[in-house]
Amino acid sequence: MSQATADVPGLAPDDIDRPPARQGERALARRRRGAAYGMLGPGGIYLILFFVVPLIIIVQTSLSSSDLFAGGGRLQFDWNWSNYHTAITGYWEYYLRSIMYAGIATVLCIGLAYPMAYWIAFYGGRWKATLFMLILVPFFVSFVIRTVQWNFILGTNGLLLTPLKSWHILPQDFVVLKTPGAVIAGITYNFMPFAALPLYVALERIDRGLVEAAKDLYSSPSVAFRKVVLPLSYPGIFAAVILTFVPATGDYVNAQVLGGTGTTMIGQIIQTFFLVRHNYAVAAAMSVVLMLGMLVLAILYARALGTEDSTLAAGAGG
Amino acid sequence: MTIDPKDMAGLEPSLARGLTQRRLSRRDMLKIGGVSVGALSLSQILAACSSGSSAGGNSSSAPAVDFDPSTAGTTLNFSNWPLYMDKSHGDYPSLDKFKQETGITVTYNDEINGNDSFFGKLLPQLQAGQDTGRDIIVITNGEYLTALIDNGWATELDTSRRPNFDKYAASWAKSPAYDPDNKHTMAWQSGLTGLGYNTEMVLQTPTKLDDMMSTDFFPPKSVGVLKEDAPNLVMINLGIDPISSTQDDWNQAADWLSQLRDSPTFYGAYDQGYVDDLNAGNLAGTMAWSGDILYNAIWAGHPYEFIVPEGGSLLWIDNMLIPAHSANPAGALELMDFYYDPVNAQLLTEYVLYMSPVPAVQKGIAEHAKQESGKYAEQLAATAESPMLWPDEALLSRVSLGRPIETQEESDAWHSTFDTIWEQ
Repeated sequence: MSQATADVPGLAPDDIDRPPARQGERALARRRRGAAYGMLGPGGIYLILFFVVPLIIIVQTSLSSSDLFAGGGRLQFDWNWSNYHTAITGYWEYYLRSIMYAGIATVLCIGLAYPMAYWIAFYGGRWKATLFMLILVPFFVSFVIRTVQWNFILGTNGLLLTPLKSWHILPQDFVVLKTPGAVIAGITYNFMPFAALPLYVALERIDRGLVEAAKDLYSSPSVAFRKVVLPLSYPGIFAAVILTFVPATGDYVNAQVLGGTGTTMIGQIIQTFFLVRHNYAVAAAMSVVLMLGMLVLAILYARALGTEDSTLAAGAGG
Repeated sequence: MTIDPKDMAGLEPSLARGLTQRRLSRRDMLKIGGVSVGALSLSQILAACSSGSSAGGNSSSAPAVDFDPSTAGTTLNFSNWPLYMDKSHGDYPSLDKFKQETGITVTYNDEINGNDSFFGKLLPQLQAGQDTGRDIIVITNGEYLTALIDNGWATELDTSRRPNFDKYAASWAKSPAYDPDNKHTMAWQSGLTGLGYNTEMVLQTPTKLDDMMSTDFFPPKSVGVLKEDAPNLVMINLGIDPISSTQDDWNQAADWLSQLRDSPTFYGAYDQGYVDDLNAGNLAGTMAWSGDILYNAIWAGHPYEFIVPEGGSLLWIDNMLIPAHSANPAGALELMDFYYDPVNAQLLTEYVLYMSPVPAVQKGIAEHAKQESGKYAEQLAATAESPMLWPDEALLSRVSLGRPIETQEESDAWHSTFDTIWEQ
């Protein structure tokens, strides 16, 4: 706002109410509106180019058909709704499994990140920034490399299990890899910072005076936490859930690297249809179904738990 | 339709091609860009995305390609699978020899990790009728090779310009069912899919494919499967001829595979990378490619054994071909034929340990073994004698190529039968 007025030479904010400046006032209002839209411009064009257009292409692809042998796999748009039939009836269990894995991982992420973020925000003192960096440091290594390393650490004859087995703490045929647990652990590990960041931001901005006030009114520390700190951190929790759950549902790297035959997630199926079977149409239909599913879940979640403030905070956090 | 590069006398051939052939896709880019920003007509966007679709189509009427060696360019891009080329101190001796003989510098890229994924990588350029940037690629017989040939994306070869191939190629490499008269392809190497195992980890010596499911043979959670080859290998071992197999046969094989998946010995299903798990001790036995096991047994000294199970093995052939619109088809054909000279083929086989399409190589390796001494001589002798490299008639009668997949319907049915086993 102040930027918009500052753009107009010779007009200070108090000039606006002066009667003689009526003409200029209308011009100014126009220019202000222009400036506001102007500021939307770059982001808007970016969104249209890299979000809306690809989205339209995906939807159109999902309603096309192709033949790899007779037509070179080229897409023919012909309202081919059967792609959605294939995408849903053949694979619904993978959507459910993905939602379940992502849901468990999200709960674990928040369970792990909340106490950490809480401690750093309230007791970190001048080490706050350093401590928070410590959470982030491992994530300077590439996502895939970190995940593959877990393969070595958790392998049947890997760093962790070999000594535990030779000390007879674990049975000889104990495996971690290729189980649902390994996949969920991988997702939890990889998405934890996305939960920690918004939680930390939300907890950090809580006015300590409110906690003091609660204590002055004879509340115990646990009641002060439950009635003051926790509600004030809802926006952070809301953002953390969205930022963790949505990408985790579509994730396929963790399931690919750490999972086995019983842990396939919908992201892997989509990848197979795109890269192995070159059936872009069904893959696009699956992507649309997943996207719509996520959208519905997010809306329901926002309706049930979100407040206006948390929606704003989610936006800010994102 | 364009000026023939040959007619541009005096010009460097590659330069002439560069001047005359459509290479830049700037117009396509503008089409995409313009449409996206402006009108947003869906059909236009799609048209821009699949630009040139009218040119390619299903017809293999690509412009006639000149294979005259005098028109060959000075560089060649060769894409192949890992560990599939003789290598010495970071150099490729046979490619160096090729450069000495022809003056063509080969950029060798071992970027192919799967027929499906590599095919997918080239697909957009092939659909658009553009140069893929690769002059030779190596693809296994199967649905992707069929799709490449059917769509006219494998350059038709000048069959009169491959004297070594005519003279030295093995009978199995000549005129295979998937490419009659080798019009588009020439075999690079071939191999068997059978059972590989670690002799120190198995509880008994396995002989049949069924042994993979038994804890009398393998410890719990120690058996691997090759996803792409498993259906055909299983059908062969169930006594089904894969080539003429039907959906009912496929279902039988799928049942067998589901049983293996649910058996206590099962560890994992692989596209590639099973050798890493074998070397790491995660696998005691696995469906395996002959050369991988032989390489690790003979050259790396691992206690591995490769067997053709009682029911038989799957034979596959990896084929060199020139993708459509290659910048140097003449040089590419020269290189393809170069590897049919027994001397050059021997360089390759001594390193990769797969079945060479040049039978004369066996004698060459045996003689090489006599000239050498010590362990190296033993290793070469083992290479020259391995029945997996030089299968006799008795062995060949127990192997079969896989089921050809030639239509979209077959492909869909095949994948929905078998992919779901591993996607549970």
